Amino acid sequence: MRKWLILVILLLAGFAGYNYIYQSHRDIHEEQAAYTLSAQALSTAFLKTPSESELKYLNKTIEISGNITEINKKDLTLNESVFCQFSNLITLPSKKGTNIKIKGRVIGYDDLLEQVKVDQCFIVD
Amino acid sequence: MKHLIYLLAFFSLNLVAQSKYITKTGVVNFEASVASFEEVKAMNQSVTAIIETKSGAFAALVLVKGFRFKNALMEEHFNENYAESDQFPKATFKGNLEDFSIDKLSATSIFKMNGSLTFHGKTKKLESIPLKLSREGDFINVSGSFLLNTSDFDIKIPKVVKDKVSETVEVSLNFKLKKT
Repeated sequence: MRKWLILVILLLAGFAGYNYIYQSHRDIHEEQAAYTLSAQALSTAFLKTPSESELKYLNKTIEISGNITEINKKDLTLNESVFCQFSNLITLPSKKGTNIKIKGRVIGYDDLLEQVKVDQCFIVD
Repeated sequence: MKHLIYLLAFFSLNLVAQSKYITKTGVVNFEASVASFEEVKAMNQSVTAIIETKSGAFAALVLVKGFRFKNALMEEHFNENYAESDQFPKATFKGNLEDFSIDKLSATSIFKMNGSLTFHGKTKKLESIPLKLSREGDFINVSGSFLLNTSDFDIKIPKVVKDKVSETVEVSLNFKLKKT
């Protein structure tokens, strides 16, 4: 009886350990957005208070609304100030000038081009 | 007279105007794997890079949070314990391509890159790193690789994982810059 108990505990520990080491990646799609704001508000925040904004937004899932100013196969730019990168090809027939809402993860501020970068994006609306 | 000066100023400004090539989706990989252990490898596909063709100035900015690992836990440890990306969210390179000239850029040319790389709050000089450049219409392709030591950037590898993570890290880059 005790032998069985030890075996079961070992198995459970092994299972838990395996799940910890090989845990899955964050699913931005499923995550609740920590902040919802406009593209302008986000880029102004990074421009005016870079370090506070980094603390606040870095690695967070956010929902951003804005106007498409540039669009490529796997990325688009909102209001020339927020660069959104998609993991897959952009499927919706969105084009320059349309207003759009996007969810993604903030990875940081690009001072070379003065744009906020967001990855793992997808179109919400 | 005043107009003439403005006109002259305008033309001379135009003459020194730089033509720039830019990418926002450059790729930087690094690998610190040790044979027969799980690979320690990450890819960043959100690198910004700029080349000024007139001066040969070359700058790149890597957002550290943008490095993606196959293993989620490894990604977490990289961000929290090694790169400390909350504190140091950016890695930057500023330098130039030796004797760069857009006219010299034929099918594939090798140019030497010099400059300084800042990561994890530490700066290291890079000298004579050979990069492969080629021109394709409005695009310039840049690729190359080099080795870095974790000690150059004050990154300590804990004893427990010492034999699983290499202290020599191979960094490779691949940019496709578009004329602006």
